[in-house]
Amino acid sequence: MQPQLIRDLEALLGPKAVLSAPEDLMLYEYDGSVELGSPRCIVFPTSTRDVAEIVRLANRYETPIVGRGAGTGLSGGAIARSGGIVVAFPRMNRILEVDAANLRAVVQPGVVNLDLSRAVEHLGLYFAPDPSSQKSCTIGGNVSENSGGPHTLAYGVTSNHVTGLELALPDGEIVRIGGKSIETSGYDLRGLLVGSEGTLALVTEITVRLMRKPEAVKTLLAVYDTLDDTTESVVEITVRAITPAACEMLDGFTLRAVEDYVHAGFPKDCAAVLLIEVEGLTEAVEAQAAEITEVCRQHRAREVRAARNDQERNLLWRGRKEAFGAMGRISPMYYVQDGVIPRTRLPETLRRIEEISRKYDLQIGNIFHAGDGNLHPLILFDERDRAQFARVVAAGGEIMRHCVEVGGALTGEHGIGMEKNELMPLIFTPDDLALMERVRAAFNPGGRLNPGKVLPMGKACGEIRVPPMPTSATIPT
Amino acid sequence: MSRSAQVPFARLEEIAGSASVVTDAAEIAAREVCGIQPSVVVRPADTVQIAEILRFAAIEKLAVIPTGGCTKLGIGSRPTRYDIALDLSRMNRMLAYDPHDLTLGVEPGVRIEDLLHALAQEKQFLPLAVPFLDRATIGGIVATNSSSPLRHAYGGVRDFCLGMEFVTGEGAQAKSGGRVVKNVTGYDLHKLLIGSLGTLAVITRVNFRTFPMTHAQGTFVATFSAAESACDFCRVVSHSVLTPQILEIANPGAAALLFSGEISARLEPRTWTVIVSAAGHPAVVKRHERDLAQLAGTANADEFLPLTDSESHSVLAQIREFPRLMKERDPFAAIFRISAAPGAMAPLLGRLRVLAAKRELDFVALARASGILYAVFLPQRQMAAPPSSMPGIFEEVFLACGQPEMQASAMLEWCPAEFKTSAEVVWGPSRPDFELMRRVKHSFDPQSVLAPGRFAGGI
Repeated sequence: MQPQLIRDLEALLGPKAVLSAPEDLMLYEYDGSVELGSPRCIVFPTSTRDVAEIVRLANRYETPIVGRGAGTGLSGGAIARSGGIVVAFPRMNRILEVDAANLRAVVQPGVVNLDLSRAVEHLGLYFAPDPSSQKSCTIGGNVSENSGGPHTLAYGVTSNHVTGLELALPDGEIVRIGGKSIETSGYDLRGLLVGSEGTLALVTEITVRLMRKPEAVKTLLAVYDTLDDTTESVVEITVRAITPAACEMLDGFTLRAVEDYVHAGFPKDCAAVLLIEVEGLTEAVEAQAAEITEVCRQHRAREVRAARNDQERNLLWRGRKEAFGAMGRISPMYYVQDGVIPRTRLPETLRRIEEISRKYDLQIGNIFHAGDGNLHPLILFDERDRAQFARVVAAGGEIMRHCVEVGGALTGEHGIGMEKNELMPLIFTPDDLALMERVRAAFNPGGRLNPGKVLPMGKACGEIRVPPMPTSATIPT
Repeated sequence: MSRSAQVPFARLEEIAGSASVVTDAAEIAAREVCGIQPSVVVRPADTVQIAEILRFAAIEKLAVIPTGGCTKLGIGSRPTRYDIALDLSRMNRMLAYDPHDLTLGVEPGVRIEDLLHALAQEKQFLPLAVPFLDRATIGGIVATNSSSPLRHAYGGVRDFCLGMEFVTGEGAQAKSGGRVVKNVTGYDLHKLLIGSLGTLAVITRVNFRTFPMTHAQGTFVATFSAAESACDFCRVVSHSVLTPQILEIANPGAAALLFSGEISARLEPRTWTVIVSAAGHPAVVKRHERDLAQLAGTANADEFLPLTDSESHSVLAQIREFPRLMKERDPFAAIFRISAAPGAMAPLLGRLRVLAAKRELDFVALARASGILYAVFLPQRQMAAPPSSMPGIFEEVFLACGQPEMQASAMLEWCPAEFKTSAEVVWGPSRPDFELMRRVKHSFDPQSVLAPGRFAGGI
């Protein structure tokens, strides 16, 4: 890339909005995954117009463009794999409109997820998708990755909460799709765009649904002596058609690490806990909590207790949401997986993960969205041990293959990115992938927008990519 | 009426078997789309045959429209070509149903009524209370994005469809999504097929999440003297902690239709009426009754009453079948489906009523409070031919919806075929996103084999 491009970008945005010094670039070469890639420069637009101009400049210089929110992504979506310009959105962080009458908000992509919920809290409203990284991740990033979170079990993922988008297409054109209405006539382009991992367009404005806070919330902690009893309880809750707002599981290994760090009140001598939340009308919450307690007891839960107040409830959730961070205390590095399985296959899948852990002589913790079958095995390792890291990658691949074998998917909420794009053929045929490539080309014909993501590049089909050299500790999610 | 190119039947018979290639006049007429009849009806047995038929059609430059229960073929603009009706009624198997996992995979030809019956055996359902319930098939419901009053609580098809398999216009078998309830693996191409009127691909399998039936249900009706109060009541309910399953607003004309029969004795139907239904634990239903009565009082409702089970059943069935009932009442009815910001509903209803009055048309409206409106324009008396004043109103409706404060998007879902002189009549004036839709179409169906001309922007 020519220094002239940097000069042109500086002329466009001002020198403070362009970073290109090596020490600055280093800060943007990673995200929450174990991947790495160095951009040539990072730019900070403040408006849709800036973004369009940046895209046009990038076209003139035929250079790749990668959008970036807070960099908390877990599949390398925001990494400049082929170099080029990283378009970072922290300065486009304004909530443009809170339309309480229509239960909508219009935001710029750099608005932090939790900041939106805080901004509308006084109206009794909130934004439902709640990734564990919600204190730092951005809504633009959520849109790119179609992010989930614990409460998506009841309320759906980002795609269910976006009604309109403003896009900067790779040719610099600005197009709006949808708006405040729940549907738009024509093809469901926002359904395609949400979750396209920044490979079709850069999102410059987002209209989201806001939800009314429920009248009552009850958070239950069920404590078990065996993993099987825990997973069987989750299956039974689904079978009985109880729909909690969240149903999270932490295995014994993980909860001990968490307990030492957060002191959430998890019993350290148990095999696993379920953290189950029910929400809604008081009457519905009472009925559901009673039924869930009954199911857990029938499956030999040693104890089922309800958080007595907000403080206890927040502490339990802190235990869940900061679990990844707690892992950093006991292992130099971890590799978090994100498989999905049919919920009825949970018991056998956790047994399989145990076998894989033994086979590769690796410590694997399990902390995940049990209610929708979305696993997050955490494989612990030391990055200085390359032989061990090769085993980590192999174990991760084996877990993914199991998910696919039992009818699941490669990723429930973290995205394909550059981590799993070579695994796509495990799920999709060449015809499936060819069609996806054509759709990508329809939006992104030159392929300069976030290259090397989502679709396989064909170099190492069927493998998780072995990253060049993981360096820094991962960011908690 | 443009008659198609000569269709080489022999090759179709080779692919699907001679018994599955039909030229019977009644069968052909049943698959007419906007006044255009196909030359032949082909009933493929499986995905492989569909792929072969589409590849053959591409080579021969024939146009294909997939059909199911033939209940909604009138939706969309008039196709520019139409040679083969691809009747998917033989593909009517339930391919996978795991009640314990609450997931389901079905072929497109499965009738919704049969499917709901099968799910009811396991005390589950799909929130698809859609029109033409006795004949509509899954493929048709998905391809037209049929609207259900249960949308209020469960969302639309896009919100509970997990994935699809399909055959593109080039005859390539493809899929997206999957069978699990949470999945971000690859592009959600299946979402594009929802409401695509068969213009992108032929759907061969749809995976859904299913939902548990609730213990108890209650339906309540509140009547109001003005649209504004009815809409205000809905807004207050939507913003409350209540969790209704259905929240519908009927204008006086629609209320008269919904509350026909014995129920009309108990209720004055010629007013603005809100229908709310709640489901769940009996205590939850009771709570809704109590709170709704109070909110209705505050909103100056003339009346608030709970319906009996049989009344509720009848009213909900009428709501479900609303577009069909309007079509049956008057073949010249023009039915718009409009999505609007919920807060725009009252001003929009007011504006549309004025437009109808100006052209001496009747106006009947049924709105989902979440922001979907069926707006119907009818001649004020039975006529032998559609009134000439009607087409003039179409443009005005699109214009009204296009006002920034309405945040609305309209489509003329049904109208007499002779009025469909261009794609704009049905889809409204060109929008900037139509160009993106054209590119999507080209990715799926580069030779425009599938229903050419039937979609937005003349796609």
